[in-house]
Amino acid sequence: MSGGYHMEDEVQQRAYDSTLMRRLLGYLRPYRTKLILALVLLLIASLVSSVSPLLVMYGVDNFLANAERSGLQQEIAKQKTPDPVQLDALAGMVSRDQRLLFLLVLLLGALIIVESGFRYAQLLIVAHVGQRTMFEMRMGLFAHLQTMSLQFLDRNPVGRLMSRVTSDIEKIQQTVVSGGVQVASDFITIFVVLAIMLSVNKELTLVAIVPVPFIFATSFIFRKFARHSFLEIRRKIAAVSASMQESISGMRVVQIFGREDANYNRFRALNADHRDEWLRQVRYFAIYFPAIEFFSSLSTSLIILYCSWNVLKLGGYVSGTASVGTFFAFISLSERLFGPIRALADRYNMLLEAMASSERVFELLDTPPDVDDRPDAVPCDHLEGAVSFENVSFRYGEGEWILKNINLHIDPGERVAIVGHTGAGKSTIINLISRFYDVQEGRILVDGVDVRKYRQRALRSRIGVVLQDVFLFSGSVEDNIRLGDAAITDEQIRAAAAYVNAAPFIERLPGGYGHKVGERGCNLSTGQRQLIAFARALAHEPDILVLDEATSSIDTETEMLIQDAINRLLDGDGRRRTCIVIAHRLSTIQHADRIVVLHHGEIHEMGTHQELLARDGLYRTLYELQYKDQLAQE
Amino acid sequence: MKVEHGQSEIPVRHDFPGTLPPPPASKAREGRPFISLLRYNRPYLWNYIFGALIAVFFSLVGLVMPMVIRYIIDGFERGNLGHGKLVLLVSGLIVLSLVSGVARYFQRTLMIGASRKFEYDLRNDLFAHVQRLSRSFFNRTPTGEIMARATNDLNYVRDFIGPGIMGTIDTIRLPFTLAMMIYLSGRLTLVALIPMPFISLLVFTFVRISHRRSKKVQELFAVVTTEVQENLAGARVVKAHGMGDRAVAGFRENATRYMKANIRLVSFMSFAFPFIGSVIGVIMLLVTWRGGSMVIRGELDLADYTAFMIYLVMLAFPLAHLGWVLTLYQRGAVGMNRIARILGEAPGIWDGDHTDPDARVSRGHVRFEGVSFAYGTVPDSALALRDISFEAPEGAMVAIVGPTGCGKTTLVSLLAREYDPDLGRIQIDGHELRAIPLRRLRSAIGYVLQDTFIFSDTVRENLRLGRPEATDDEILAACAVAQLTEALADLPKGLDTMLGERGINLSGGQKQRLALARAILRDPRILILDDALSAVDTQTEERILDGLRGVMAGRTSFVVAHRFSTIRRADLILVMDNGAIVERGTHEELLALDGLYARMHARQLLEEALES
Repeated sequence: MSGGYHMEDEVQQRAYDSTLMRRLLGYLRPYRTKLILALVLLLIASLVSSVSPLLVMYGVDNFLANAERSGLQQEIAKQKTPDPVQLDALAGMVSRDQRLLFLLVLLLGALIIVESGFRYAQLLIVAHVGQRTMFEMRMGLFAHLQTMSLQFLDRNPVGRLMSRVTSDIEKIQQTVVSGGVQVASDFITIFVVLAIMLSVNKELTLVAIVPVPFIFATSFIFRKFARHSFLEIRRKIAAVSASMQESISGMRVVQIFGREDANYNRFRALNADHRDEWLRQVRYFAIYFPAIEFFSSLSTSLIILYCSWNVLKLGGYVSGTASVGTFFAFISLSERLFGPIRALADRYNMLLEAMASSERVFELLDTPPDVDDRPDAVPCDHLEGAVSFENVSFRYGEGEWILKNINLHIDPGERVAIVGHTGAGKSTIINLISRFYDVQEGRILVDGVDVRKYRQRALRSRIGVVLQDVFLFSGSVEDNIRLGDAAITDEQIRAAAAYVNAAPFIERLPGGYGHKVGERGCNLSTGQRQLIAFARALAHEPDILVLDEATSSIDTETEMLIQDAINRLLDGDGRRRTCIVIAHRLSTIQHADRIVVLHHGEIHEMGTHQELLARDGLYRTLYELQYKDQLAQE
Repeated sequence: MKVEHGQSEIPVRHDFPGTLPPPPASKAREGRPFISLLRYNRPYLWNYIFGALIAVFFSLVGLVMPMVIRYIIDGFERGNLGHGKLVLLVSGLIVLSLVSGVARYFQRTLMIGASRKFEYDLRNDLFAHVQRLSRSFFNRTPTGEIMARATNDLNYVRDFIGPGIMGTIDTIRLPFTLAMMIYLSGRLTLVALIPMPFISLLVFTFVRISHRRSKKVQELFAVVTTEVQENLAGARVVKAHGMGDRAVAGFRENATRYMKANIRLVSFMSFAFPFIGSVIGVIMLLVTWRGGSMVIRGELDLADYTAFMIYLVMLAFPLAHLGWVLTLYQRGAVGMNRIARILGEAPGIWDGDHTDPDARVSRGHVRFEGVSFAYGTVPDSALALRDISFEAPEGAMVAIVGPTGCGKTTLVSLLAREYDPDLGRIQIDGHELRAIPLRRLRSAIGYVLQDTFIFSDTVRENLRLGRPEATDDEILAACAVAQLTEALADLPKGLDTMLGERGINLSGGQKQRLALARAILRDPRILILDDALSAVDTQTEERILDGLRGVMAGRTSFVVAHRFSTIRRADLILVMDNGAIVERGTHEELLALDGLYARMHARQLLEEALES
């Protein structure tokens, strides 16, 4: 975990960063028209939904509270024997009011359907845009990660990089895209509702919005307290998680040293800190939400008071000023006004979180690849296979020099075995040929061209590398040999597998080449994995084969298969290709045209097996040490 | 008031009393999430009861406002409403909403607060339990898995306990509201209620569909996550095979599938929300129409009608809420089950009936009798240890040598009872290892592991890990033996220097020496060095061993080592190959045997010659 940055741990003090926001909005630019369309739809939906309270007002005032009719009704109710003429007139009025009410209800129903339709269309557009943006951001980040060097990947733990591509982007989508449109929608609704309220009754509108300044003031104060608490919570949950993570990783030490109690208490203290910060936050919210609720109902009460006061003052219902209908209209309008105002305050916190996420994502995107293609990099479709090291020196970062002034020329088709002690620099040579790292001094030429002048991927696709630890992706055996290269046919896969002795065991697996590996742990033995790696390298028909022989012990049967497979690989399948092997097996060395003895980062000796043995130098000692036993066993 | 209850519970920081709770009859049971939740929330029963009472109060208060409006409208018609009365009524309303705001405050702090306390309890339990689990558990459970349960799943459970239960309790207002509606007009209530079963069905269907679709989204999210993780973990292969473009293409495919699943889900939601909204709207219209007709016909008072409509709105919203609560419950139940699975793990190695409270390590006489052991269930050929028998008298130094993977580390980890043997038995001072209380056993053993783990804490805390009460003098003495004094002097703040993630990094050799000092400081009866000095150079190793001889006089030690300069000092050397002891004796005896040991020795001599 060393040397990385510790983002989770830092409290994001910057609340709102306009550069970040602009950059995020940049991702939305291609969808400008769609988003504008969504906003227009939203505007229409808001208008339509805000019109219905007015219709309700009209209906209530004119049909339900029809003064003429209710007067007649009262009059008839007073009579002992109702006047038939009046009864007829009343029946006419009743049926007319009922008919009109029915029409009004139909109209309202139509409005609801129109509004829902528009809302649906708008949500759909926003969902699509949001998902697409997130997809593009994720693809961009993933593609960027592919260009990062091994050095970068070594330095940054997989988990941390992973969460950038997954959860961080998820959070950005939730807040920036849907959140952004919601904020816009809230504003639009507020304005539309206000406009309609004003058009009905200016005075009543002013009365209804009396609590609004209080809501803003409360939100402002609340945010000040809650935001600090919110950041503290983030910090504290990070501490809780870190403590847990560390305890699990170091559990052996904890248990062996009997630290369970102390460890538990330490964790409890952190956990309690986190809980208490939350309890504080809960109290803030417990004050805030009811306060806002109170102000909304205050508005309702004021509307009731105003309308009733006017009814009394004017001595009866007057539509638009003092009537049951106005009641209805303003109460539902004020609901529609306060809803978005409440929501606006809430969305701010979400925005804060998204800002932290986007900062992490952009930070990764902005890290330039340290091993990069030059603009004038050349492709390579085919390599002859000549490899030269010219005065090459290399070290990892600022560490000790691993290779010192290496000069080595390998002819096309030559088979070179590299031997030497652990830490002599053998694996580094492999890393440099494929340009996983750039050399600090000297240069490496492939076919007479500096490796830095090739396109990295083109170069690597011509070099087949088999590493000691075979990495299998979850998927079928076939997928693991093909590695996604559609140009490789099934026949080629089977031929390659057969050539390196992998076919028999693969065919015995349940499902044969379709057998799933990697999913439920390692269901293949080390030896079997290596054979698959050989088939993988061969199927891609490389021009240069680089092989790091595994040292791990393998059962005798598989060991024989592997040894035979390596020798076949070195001999080539019909064509001779350059082979560079870090050799641990005597038979491999004996198959090589030339042996390079590496010692403390320098080439100590070079020659054929016989030449070197005759020289009685380092190689002879090595031979006696490492390979003689093998000879004895054979 | 009951809220302050939480305050008094907050303990003093950094001075947490108590020990790990005893191994549990776990409160959580897998497959019974609801029972588990109930058990965990028993301490907060009163919070919920008060919360529910407040909800009842709140519902009752909520009933008043429509009745006031009804009274006012009624007053207009009868003409018996004065300005004074009006002001009084509206002031009453305002006071009532103020009171219900205060009630709301208490309800939130009680119920949401309880969910936070519950989260705290459950996380503590999870942490405590994980500490009790044996290595077999950690071998098969990745750290990320445990972390996911302690964070994500726990959050889901807590969201159900807090907002979820509060949302459920708020539905208490339904019967009250309904009663008022029936009081105002039974016939109209019937009209309003006829579509209700249909709405419930609709909500359930929607929840089911969205559950299915969001499950798909979660599955594909896992696929995408795994792909990124593999791509990064297998970066070398990806690069070596120039797979970059193909990897991007493959990722694009899965990311597209994920996006499509997301769009399917969100599209459904985009439909569901406005749809439910409009269904509720249409029902309101139905009532408006039928009720309006009744008013027009003079069968229903306008005042009653107005109050009725307001009650109807109050009824509709909690119903629409119910779908959300159901989703919360589904996620919470899944999360609780996942957590219960870990809480239900048997500790594997723990004290029990077999423990003899009087058994203790007094001298350090170790005896292995026919010990065999395998990691997990594997065929016979893969036994990690087979039929190991030997005896180490008090004060002896036992060296264990052999090729990589021959079982050296397994042997010593069995001595520290990190695993129990499958066959045979191990005794210390005549006590069966299983009989010695685990804590007592571990405190008698100083175990230096192959991989040193440094906690992100100060050097001092890292050193006195196993003996928190150790004084600085004792620490420095242990450091002197471990040859750490010089390195210590180079540290910017000496013993107070922070190490690990947020501190400085020690070199491999320094870490090993720190781990050694840590073990020495415990003053153990038995010392185990598992390849503990591999990163230390030969001269320093010699000095350390000389120093150790003084400190460890009379104590038994087990040393896994490669350097013969170390091994040759041992009183007993065990040569292992493929899980079995193949040769044993002193250095001279083994050389005379001219077997594996002698071959390994000769090879090392050659190697040393090569290095020089």
